[in-house]
Amino acid sequence: MAHAVISCLHANLAATEAVLSDIDQLGIDTITCLGDLVGYGPQPNEVVELIRARQIPSCQGCWDEDIIEGLNSCECSYPSQLAERRGQQAHHWTAAQLSEENKAFLASLPLSLRRDRLLFVHGSPNSQHEYLLPDMNAFAALERVEAAQADTLFCGHTHRPYVRELREGVIKMRLRRAVANPGPDIEREVDLPVRRIVNAGSVGEPRHGGTSATYVIHHEQDDSVEIREVPYDVERTCQAIVAAGLPPLFAWRLRHGFEYAERADDASHVCER
Amino acid sequence: MAMWALLSGLRGDLTVYAAVQAELRRQRVDTLFVLGDLIGPEREANALLERLQQPRRGDLQPHCLYGWWEEQLLAERGFRGERRADALRQRGGEAAVAALLQAVDPGHMAWLASLQFGFVELDCALLHGSSADVGDSLTADTAPLQLLDRLTRMEANRLFTARSGEQFCVELCGGGIESRLRDLEGERQQHQSVPSRKVIGVGSGLHYTLYDPGSDHIAFRRAGCPIHATGRGFA
Repeated sequence: MAHAVISCLHANLAATEAVLSDIDQLGIDTITCLGDLVGYGPQPNEVVELIRARQIPSCQGCWDEDIIEGLNSCECSYPSQLAERRGQQAHHWTAAQLSEENKAFLASLPLSLRRDRLLFVHGSPNSQHEYLLPDMNAFAALERVEAAQADTLFCGHTHRPYVRELREGVIKMRLRRAVANPGPDIEREVDLPVRRIVNAGSVGEPRHGGTSATYVIHHEQDDSVEIREVPYDVERTCQAIVAAGLPPLFAWRLRHGFEYAERADDASHVCER
Repeated sequence: MAMWALLSGLRGDLTVYAAVQAELRRQRVDTLFVLGDLIGPEREANALLERLQQPRRGDLQPHCLYGWWEEQLLAERGFRGERRADALRQRGGEAAVAALLQAVDPGHMAWLASLQFGFVELDCALLHGSSADVGDSLTADTAPLQLLDRLTRMEANRLFTARSGEQFCVELCGGGIESRLRDLEGERQQHQSVPSRKVIGVGSGLHYTLYDPGSDHIAFRRAGCPIHATGRGFA
C-alpha cells in the first residue's frame, strides 16, 4: 500500500489541488498532512475546507498554532526584520480572513499523529517550530527520532523535501562515578538504531530552488520513499496574493522559486519574540 | 588557571552553603557557580538568598542560575506568563506548592526572576537540567545518544548538570554514524564522528564538584569530609 504525506500548504489552493490530483491519479487514498495549512498564501479558508472535506488527517503546524494562539506563540526565527514584518502582515491578514469554524478546526489539530512506528509531526517531536534541516547534526537528528520511539519520522516545516537514513551508529563512552558514590568505571560501546527522517517538503511554499510543489509517497511494501514534484498554476496563486493585498514578495518568491529571497535584508537579525 | 566550584540543591540550607564556602576558602578556587535549586519547600530560604545576594567577607561571589524549584516558584507567582507550578502540583499537591510559597519572601522574587537559565564559560555549558529543559534529569545511566544531543544543542564540549543530584562524569570518547541523504539534487553520504565530550553531574547539597578548566581535571567533593578521605577525584 502507498501512503502520501503532504505538508506546508500555506493557503495555496492551486498547489494543493494539483498535489491532491496527482495523488488521486496514482490511486493513493491514504494521505497525511503535516500542518501549516495557512499563512503566506491567499486562500486560507479554501485550503482548510478542502482538507476538511477530504477528511485528511492533519497535525498542527506553527502557522496554524499562531493563528489560534496569537503571534506570541511563535518561536521561529525570521531571517530579517523586513521578513518578520511581512510575516506579521500575513498573520494578521490570515487571522482576519479565516472563519471561526476553520479556526476551530485548526485549534483541534493534534501536534503529532502516529501509525505504528511511523510518527508524523510538523517540525520535530519537540516542537512545531524546530527545523530538522537536512544537514543537521546526525546524532541530534537520530535522537529526535529515537526519543519519539519511531522508526521513521515524517516532518515538514523546512519546505525542503529529503529522505535521510541514519545507520551504523555507535558511541563509545567511559563512565566514572564519584568516590563518595563508588562503582566500577565502565567503558562500553553503544550501538545506535537505524532510523530515518522523511521531510515532505512543501505543497504551497516550496523552498527547494524550484517552483514545483513537493510531497512524498511512502510505499509500505518495500518501505521506500519517493519524493514527488508537481508543477501547478503558480501564476494563479501569485495573482491572488497581489489581489488580496499580501506582500508582493510572497508572489515573487513563488514565481521565481527563489529559496532565500528574504535573507539579504538584515542577516544579523533573529526574531526572538 | 584557578578552579571552578560547582554546586546545587542547597534548598534553602544556609548551613550547607556556609560549610561549602568555608571549605572553598582553603582551596585554589576562584569562581563559584550555583546551578539552581537554591530554594525548596523544606525550609525557609530567605537567609540563604540574602547571603547569595550579599556575600559575607571572604565568601566567593556566587554566580547563580535558576533551577527546577525556582522555576516552579516563578511560575506560581506569575513570572512565567500563564503557566503555574503544574509540575510541582502534580508531584506534591497543593501542600507542596503552599510550602514553597511559604519558603521564600516575595521580596526575593525580582532577584530570582533575574537569574539565567544557563552559563556558557569557555567551551563549557553550565545548566541546572539540560539544554532541553530545566527539569531534564541527566544521570550516569542516561543514554549516550541523549547526552550527545544535549551537548550538541549547546555546542559545548563539557556540560555540567545538577538536576539529578548525582556526581558522575560520562565521557563520550569515540564512535560515529553514517548518514545517507537523498533530495531533489541527488544522493550523498556522510560520516560523522563522535566528538570527545563530557557530561558532568555536579552533585547536590554538601556534594559539590571542582573543575580546572586549564587541565580539564574534575574532582568530586563532599563538604565536611577531609579531602584525603573523599579521594582526589580523577582527571
